[in-house]
Amino acid sequence: MVESFTVKFVDPEGEGAERRTTVEAGQTYLDAAHAAGVAMEATCGARGRCRSCRVKVISGEMPPPTIQDTVQLGHDQVRENFRLACQTKVVSDSVVMSVPPKSEAGHQIMTADTSAAMARGLVLDSGVSKFLVQAKAPASEHNQTADWDEIYSVLPETVERRLSLDVMRKIPTALRDKSGELTVTTFQDRVIDLEAGDTTEHLYGMAFDIGTTSIVGSLIDLDTGECLANVGGVNPQAVYGGDLMSRIAYAQFDSKKLQTLRARVLNAIGDFVKEACAEAEISASHVYKIIVVGNTCMHHVLLGIDVTYVGLAPYAPTVNDAIVAPAADLPIKVTPNAQVCLLPIVAGFVGADTMACVLATRIYESDEMRALVDIGTNGEVVMGHKGRLMACSAPAGPALEGAQIRHGMRGAVGAVEKIEIGDDVECQVIGGTPAIGICGSGLIDACAKLVEAGVMERSGRFIRKGRENLPPALQERFIDTPDGIEFVLVKQEDAGKDEPITLTQSDVRQIQLAKSAIFSGISMLQIVMEVSDDELKELMMCGGFGNYINVENAVKIRLVPNLPVENITYSGNAALMGAQIALLSEEERERASELARAIEHVGLATHPDFQDLFVEGMSFLGGPEPAADEGAKRRRSGGRRAAAGGD
Amino acid sequence: MEDPVLQIPEGWEGRAPDGWEWQTLWEAVEHGDHIYADSRVQEAIDADMDPRVILDDGLFPGFNLQADRFSAQVIFIPEMLITARAMKAGLALIRPLLAAQAEKPLGTFVMGTVLGDMHDIGQSIVTIMLENAGFNVINLGTDVHPDLFIETAMAEKADLVGFSALLSTTVYYQKVTIEEFEKAGHRDKVHILIGGAPTSPEWAEECGADGWGRDAVQAVRKAMELVKEDRAAWA
Repeated sequence: MVESFTVKFVDPEGEGAERRTTVEAGQTYLDAAHAAGVAMEATCGARGRCRSCRVKVISGEMPPPTIQDTVQLGHDQVRENFRLACQTKVVSDSVVMSVPPKSEAGHQIMTADTSAAMARGLVLDSGVSKFLVQAKAPASEHNQTADWDEIYSVLPETVERRLSLDVMRKIPTALRDKSGELTVTTFQDRVIDLEAGDTTEHLYGMAFDIGTTSIVGSLIDLDTGECLANVGGVNPQAVYGGDLMSRIAYAQFDSKKLQTLRARVLNAIGDFVKEACAEAEISASHVYKIIVVGNTCMHHVLLGIDVTYVGLAPYAPTVNDAIVAPAADLPIKVTPNAQVCLLPIVAGFVGADTMACVLATRIYESDEMRALVDIGTNGEVVMGHKGRLMACSAPAGPALEGAQIRHGMRGAVGAVEKIEIGDDVECQVIGGTPAIGICGSGLIDACAKLVEAGVMERSGRFIRKGRENLPPALQERFIDTPDGIEFVLVKQEDAGKDEPITLTQSDVRQIQLAKSAIFSGISMLQIVMEVSDDELKELMMCGGFGNYINVENAVKIRLVPNLPVENITYSGNAALMGAQIALLSEEERERASELARAIEHVGLATHPDFQDLFVEGMSFLGGPEPAADEGAKRRRSGGRRAAAGGD
Repeated sequence: MEDPVLQIPEGWEGRAPDGWEWQTLWEAVEHGDHIYADSRVQEAIDADMDPRVILDDGLFPGFNLQADRFSAQVIFIPEMLITARAMKAGLALIRPLLAAQAEKPLGTFVMGTVLGDMHDIGQSIVTIMLENAGFNVINLGTDVHPDLFIETAMAEKADLVGFSALLSTTVYYQKVTIEEFEKAGHRDKVHILIGGAPTSPEWAEECGADGWGRDAVQAVRKAMELVKEDRAAWA
């Protein structure tokens, strides 16, 4: 028999119930956390490459630290019994404290407002209709009629006679409960619900953007277009890998794990629907249409389609058409009467979320050359105008969302979102609290300002020489550790945790890889479509930066090309807005299908220029020359002759 | 972590003509000045210097400095690439001379990125570095089928095979490729090295590789160790 151990988890803030579970020898603390229902993330996919799953072992025996423990946590923390839960095997009964504290898990809901779409003259046509009818119950045994004959005879002719089993089962009581007064609900002329009495005022839908990292949704009145509630939170699949590829790898060749991911996202959708309906004080049974957008992986997982091959070249999706499925079939149990509509997919890494951005930005009707870039864990770029659109994916990874960054976090309360550097560093923190981490917009500001201040070279390297020329307050912020240089953004005494908020050299490298992926994606489409910076009339940034992004700094770190700042706009969560548009307008939902077929997908990896662009795109703009090459001049100006003259 | 410093080869002046200066070439390689590297190496060749000396005293110091910095994460991919290219420019002139002196390559290395994976940068840095270290490298590019690795290894009587995987989804094919070597009955004839961002020493062990490199520098060091170890001979 395999030995087993009890693991007890305690909350760092002393709140909430203790959780305990039993694990078998060989399992890790992360396995134990999942079994115990402790929400512990592993943004690197449990590979020991980030610190998101770190725990402190309070009692119990511990195996010696792994290399990953030492690299990620440093010797000091390892000595204090901190470990990476994903790497540490349970070898005795133990008590562990999960870190980071719960407050870091707070999540800012990044939503979109329907009023913008309404203002643009969106014609409300959700495809869902309600009919109030007065029907009679069958009364004669001669020439007998069925209940449905009686109801059908008073419905408009356009309604289909075909019924789903679910609806049939509702007929007998519904017809008789209110003396034949009935509300019949149809979607695209098919009956999807039938209830006694007048419920015609209650006609709702939900729009969801299922991101790799977070899920956001809106509850909308389909009659008025009014947004009744916004909900959102972390995608609960994130514990199985922060970036898309880790997520796919988790479920690859393993249908049971695919089901785990699927169950998690379906539960989350169900919970968000309940939350939104509770907030708006409506019944979830009156939610009739749900639009879901998401990348191909999220889309396939939701449908229970194997994602193995989405993760392998040529990264093709299994289906790319728009899909309509009854919620009961997925199943999303809280909305038994809803039809779930998934927008179409362009390519394996240009998913339904990108299609939603296309709808929201209306790039398809532009006379001039425009581009939209959806910045997320997996970025996408669409470029073109009326007549021709091209798209590519830009696998940035989650760094710009704060993941796999030493003190990174999402745009939530306590996150540094804005940074200015003059004689010293000034940080603005979301919620005005002491800082506990730094989010994407803060990382962009940090890189831009550190280069500008001369703290960092444009190559991304923290300076080693010449620090004495910096303002004294900045000089003091360098920490030279055995693992490399760090720069203090928020000193420990000002921070909301027991260590300073720093930016490490390795963080900068992660940001460079991420932003170069986006930058080279945009540049590649410019090359393929032969569009110069001057011809690009607008670059629309969308995605998960919360409410703020400094466009000037985005240009300075070369996240985006060096366009005039006024030509770069920030559209917020365009994916959710596109989902709302498709929710309110069947015409727009159909348009997505036409557009998805028309958009040309460009695979970047095989393009001969891509590698050079990607490498070149890693540097920042401005700042000191990379490690001044003083020898260059000497070599060029005859040093060669002098040197070679010895023979 | 200390910033690595230039390791000046001991006694280099005794191996060069009077008044000869290598410092400019060390700097040129460090800063990736491939035009200068090319011309300076040509001058050394014209001055009848031993190609081995040019390589060890002229090219390697600047290159090793950058390789150490890269390993220490002081510099990043772009800087390492331009240094590797400058090194390659100089090496291109020397290699035929080394061959003419019947200097044998350290070994034959078949390199590529696994099936399903289009990432090129990592394996191309490793390739340049292996060549610089004296290996004969056959680079199969990206998205390489296991069969092609096996056929090439057979045809070239390879000493080592290396495959990188840069996606969590494609590391699986590192294991598959090794299994295919087993099935083909050639596993004992080659040393297998793996690498790539999602990989780890644990994964290397699990998938049955002989070695793992955290980065290109480590991969080359590992290759130099492995090539000395015994293997079954190719038929």
